Amino acid sequence: MEILHIENLTFTYPKTKKPAIENIDLSINSGEFTVICGQSGCGKTTLLKLMKKELAPAGEKSGKIFYDGVLQEELPDKKSASEIGYVLQNPDSQIVTDKVWHELAFGLENLGIPTEVIRRRVGEMASYFGIQDWFRKKTDELSGGQKQLLNLASVMVMQPRILILDEPTSRLDPIAATDFISTLQKLNRELGLTVIIAEHRLEEVFPIADKAVVMDSGRIIASGAPREIGDKLSEINKEHPMFCGLPSAVRIYNALGIEDSCPLTVREGRAFLEKHFFNAAESEKAELTEIDKMTTEYEHSETAAIEMKNVWFRYEKDLPDILRGTSLKVYGGEIYCILGGNGAGKTTALNVISGLDKAYRGKIIINGKQIKDYKGNSLYRKLLALLPQEPQTVFIKDSVREDLADMLEILEIPKSEREKKIDEISKKLGITELLDKHPYDLSGGEQQKCAIAKILMSEPRILLLDEPTKGLDAFSKLTLRKLLRGLKQEGMTIIMVTHDVEFSGETADRCALFFDGEILSADIPERFFSENNFYTTAANRMARGLWKYALTCGQVVEKCQNSKGEAT
Amino acid sequence: MKKDILAILGIILIIAVIINGTEIQSVDEYYLTHIDDITPESETVFITIRCDTILDNLDALDDNLREFVPPDGVILPKTEYVLRNGDTVFDILDRAVRYNKIQMEYQGAKLNSFGSVYIQGINFLYEFSCGPLSGWMYRVDGEFPNYGCSKYELKDGQSIEWIYTCDLGQDVGAEWFNNLGGQNK
Amino acid sequence: MKAFSDYHPLVLLVYFLSILIVAMFVNNPVIGLFALFGGILFCIMLSKRSEAAGNLGFYIPLFFMVAITNPLFSHNGVTPLFFLNGNPVTVEAFAYGVAIAVMVIGVMMWCKCYSAIMTSDKFLYLFGKAIPKLSLVLSMALRFIPMFKRQMHKVSRAQRSMGLYSSKSFIDKIKSGMRVFMAMLSWSLENSIETSASMKARGYGLKGRTNFSLFRFYPRDGALLSVCVVLLGVTVAGIITGDTAFYYYPRISELTLTPLAVAVYAAFGIMSFLPFMIEVKEALKWKYYISKI
Repeated sequence: MEILHIENLTFTYPKTKKPAIENIDLSINSGEFTVICGQSGCGKTTLLKLMKKELAPAGEKSGKIFYDGVLQEELPDKKSASEIGYVLQNPDSQIVTDKVWHELAFGLENLGIPTEVIRRRVGEMASYFGIQDWFRKKTDELSGGQKQLLNLASVMVMQPRILILDEPTSRLDPIAATDFISTLQKLNRELGLTVIIAEHRLEEVFPIADKAVVMDSGRIIASGAPREIGDKLSEINKEHPMFCGLPSAVRIYNALGIEDSCPLTVREGRAFLEKHFFNAAESEKAELTEIDKMTTEYEHSETAAIEMKNVWFRYEKDLPDILRGTSLKVYGGEIYCILGGNGAGKTTALNVISGLDKAYRGKIIINGKQIKDYKGNSLYRKLLALLPQEPQTVFIKDSVREDLADMLEILEIPKSEREKKIDEISKKLGITELLDKHPYDLSGGEQQKCAIAKILMSEPRILLLDEPTKGLDAFSKLTLRKLLRGLKQEGMTIIMVTHDVEFSGETADRCALFFDGEILSADIPERFFSENNFYTTAANRMARGLWKYALTCGQVVEKCQNSKGEAT
Repeated sequence: MKKDILAILGIILIIAVIINGTEIQSVDEYYLTHIDDITPESETVFITIRCDTILDNLDALDDNLREFVPPDGVILPKTEYVLRNGDTVFDILDRAVRYNKIQMEYQGAKLNSFGSVYIQGINFLYEFSCGPLSGWMYRVDGEFPNYGCSKYELKDGQSIEWIYTCDLGQDVGAEWFNNLGGQNK
Repeated sequence: MKAFSDYHPLVLLVYFLSILIVAMFVNNPVIGLFALFGGILFCIMLSKRSEAAGNLGFYIPLFFMVAITNPLFSHNGVTPLFFLNGNPVTVEAFAYGVAIAVMVIGVMMWCKCYSAIMTSDKFLYLFGKAIPKLSLVLSMALRFIPMFKRQMHKVSRAQRSMGLYSSKSFIDKIKSGMRVFMAMLSWSLENSIETSASMKARGYGLKGRTNFSLFRFYPRDGALLSVCVVLLGVTVAGIITGDTAFYYYPRISELTLTPLAVAVYAAFGIMSFLPFMIEVKEALKWKYYISKI
């Protein structure tokens, strides 16, 4: 049964000429799990917001939206509020009240439901979501994952028939994100809830979706079952940029162009590769020598840019140590990537290196000089810069240009040179068009680029990045990778801390695992990941039976094509 | 935070002690007052301390103070004292109560806005002890002076009366009653 | 300290108000001491052991300071010890000072317990019924403030790592602080836009909003409330009749032990130790259950 029907919908924001979305036709059946994907700024959010009349932005709208056979404008307010649930991106700002139980009850209070019924429904929802342990806590004490789960639960408690989610996992760490998505799957399977989700994290969502919709500049360019999406995109363009956002299995399948059913998960991808390339498991020895060659292949200077020697740190006297004798050595001009679980202390390590937090034991040597010998601002002038996890926190002015100018003012650069400097850096990072926008109006990827531009103003030699890929779509990650590679070419030393296995596999010169307050192993990505079973890229997990050292989709495809060549 | 509170309180306490001075006398020392003998040449004044108005307003008096109100209302019958040079009403009162070991509490001239000593209580009978309009007043030769008792210099043969009022002076015949006690102003 | 704080907020409020008002306005050593020791016991039950030493270090000096202050300024009393600047320092003034100290520390203890037990949600529940909008606004404010503080911390750290805060100059520091604060204003605006979207999405603004709370009035709440009211009644009766009247000036009066006075002391004594008794009862009950299992 059709629950949501959109007919020829076009929407234009005020003061813009180009429509944000154009001629959208979409039909969603009851109980369907639909994923909407596309580059940031393609109109996903606008489309989702228009589906719920309370959130519909102001602007010029044409076309019709039917919910449950009724035209949206004629839908009673109560029905619309309770039956169409909406979860936004930011876990923090959606929470309205100070207590978990109150947040759960908030929607029901608005609907005017009597206390006794609220009590029952809230209790039911809390047990379904496993919230009972933190039911009486303050909302502020929750982790990001818990917050987003609470947002979901407080929408679900209103018993919606359709749930709309706008990039709900983009601010979560991978484990919390996986949990969140499996909760969604559970809701969809067990309650027959209709789910419409806009997501970057397709690796997990794609396999469980019934329908995928790909959008590009305000239009739907492909829609259908996830297995068919790859083929449909290929029909438009063999190397459609949208591919890089799709799950590794789909990418490999489409790049190879073999006639078969499209694999979606790692398991299917693995079966697919083994079926077609089983005979290709050639000599591993040859590969080993290949790996030995790799060790020296990446460029770096011989002197250490950053060295930590047996560093200990804790936040307060009575709290446990976060860094327990951490040692590491990063050479000048290399991209060093620290991976590790949630709350392992990776960010703390970065903060200690950047001098924001002071270690109570051990030495931190930056460019051959101990960190404590850098007086005043000298560490942050032409030497070291840190990009925090939320790039938003870097901005303090009303436009990107003002922010950059402000930074130059702090650096005491004469007014006459400022314009030129801003021009230079914005050309280099491709942000010229963003200069006059408000930093908060930018998308995640754009914010990131502008924030990097701002911190590059101090001409650092060492760049520290904290979770740079959080909330970025595949395209923005690609641009970020190119940017970092480019900076490396100029001799920049880059240390980044991340959860993103894929990104570090493709970007880093060396990867290290941070666990229990220590750096455990540091090696080039090929060796680092091939030794890991779980902590490795999806492409590697698919192909490791055949080619242990293939990390990226590109590498796997290359191997496949080579072996095909040999076979024929 | 808590330490700060303690420190601030301590400092206030110390400052208060310093301002007040720290002249400590034992009880005996305090009451050991030298009274000049009356000779025919010496100039003298008379002092009386009375609280007979309380007798008419006993309901307003706190129960625990009854024992301090003499049955006839006279705390110090009319007594003659030698007038030393420059003696004020307060000096005579101070000497009289010490000599007779009558309790008296006053606020020093520095501590109030009138620049004069203010008598708060005599013989445990304080201002407000007998209703909200009660307190000590004095008159010299039947007149209520319009200023503080430590500013009133006495002359030979004058007669001081310290009277407790329960009604802002009206019940003891003071003509003005806009200021409590009539000792000051 | 579960058992007592689980009572209905209304009962808790009545209880705390009765204790505080009686302790503050009744000048009687027995009542004062009951309030003090009841408060201390209650506080001990509420606080962690590690805090105890610090608290002793604060309250004992405070006690003495308050006690000593009174005789310095009040010279009433029939038993002078010595004279300070011509004014007597008396036993009675000392005794009264101690009584004030007992009262002050006792009231502080109870206020501490009050703030630990009457959490914001209980307070909101009590006053939200009268003004539902206000209670939501307060709840949102309580949600917003810690978030604001955290964000401000993040922003100022981000700015510091760009070399903004590291200057030693005081004026620079103020300037930096102002910049961060201005940035926080636009962040707040941005944040509130999303919050209001989330509110609208969940039907805020529809007619007939109800107010949900977790609290229920159980029979045991009624029982405790009536016990409180009866005990308070007895205490107030004793105060009105003057059976518990007590004076420090000029002579310390003797404790009158009329039947009503004894009843008042007993009533207030029970009231002061009520949380303790409830807690002990609960603990014993558990012990008994466990031994049965």
